Amino acid sequence: MSEGGHHPAPVSPVERRVAALEALLTERGLVPEGFIEEVTRRYESEIGPMNGAKVVARAWADPEYKQRLLADGTAAIAELGFGGAEGDHMVVVENTAAVHNVIVCTLCSCYPWPVLGLPPAWYKDPPYRARMVREPRTLLTEMGCRLPADVEIRVWDSSAEVRYLVLPERPPATGGLTEAELAGLVTRDSMIGVARL
Amino acid sequence: MTETLSLLELDLPRRNGELAFDAPWQSTVFALAAAVVEHAFGGDREPFRRQLIKAIAEQPDRPYWESWTIALEALADSMPEPPMT
Repeated sequence: MSEGGHHPAPVSPVERRVAALEALLTERGLVPEGFIEEVTRRYESEIGPMNGAKVVARAWADPEYKQRLLADGTAAIAELGFGGAEGDHMVVVENTAAVHNVIVCTLCSCYPWPVLGLPPAWYKDPPYRARMVREPRTLLTEMGCRLPADVEIRVWDSSAEVRYLVLPERPPATGGLTEAELAGLVTRDSMIGVARL
Repeated sequence: MTETLSLLELDLPRRNGELAFDAPWQSTVFALAAAVVEHAFGGDREPFRRQLIKAIAEQPDRPYWESWTIALEALADSMPEPPMT
């Protein structure tokens, strides 16, 4: 994104409202100094799909870890050091040759932040939220994820209580790769379930 | 196969990650909501989430972070004044 050069943009109404909120909440003692900068920094540089990729790669490489991950996603993900806000009840759903999983939040934008970071723009848009439930196969095809007709599609509606993460199928011919190399194969979209690897 | 891993040094797929925020006010209002959830509601996200659902439902085409702002305004309005310390 551009930084806007040296021409200060006029302050928009929403920017003014956010500034007012910041002043109000700071006055109430709810915003410790440096909190905003710290949260922003973490979400922009530390929390993102690379965390989920590590979880997936570990599951591919270590069958016992995979068992734990599918049995108790929250605990197994915490083993790798990921957790906290928006990830305190994680359920991992496994793609197989017969079943393809995809996640959505029909009501707002619930998303497994600790392992995927912030949701992409399309995830929050009404068409995705409505159509992934109504016509998942058609929408997946439009998004470039074409599934054989005999593959069952399971759509998981996230909520404040439960966040889902898709465990994609391990790509063929990756037997010789290290866990680190495997992680490099995992994409955000494959962990949402709108792509296959 | 449990090679010793140095996952922290990995060059992981940042191509997956879209830019999280398009403007500074968006990251600010995001962090403000996190602050309220953490410091006013003891980590309970449900009150904010209810406001966000309402804000999105009343105008689904409104830009996402504007709905987020409206939700946080509503939540702040509903909060009791903090005890004086």
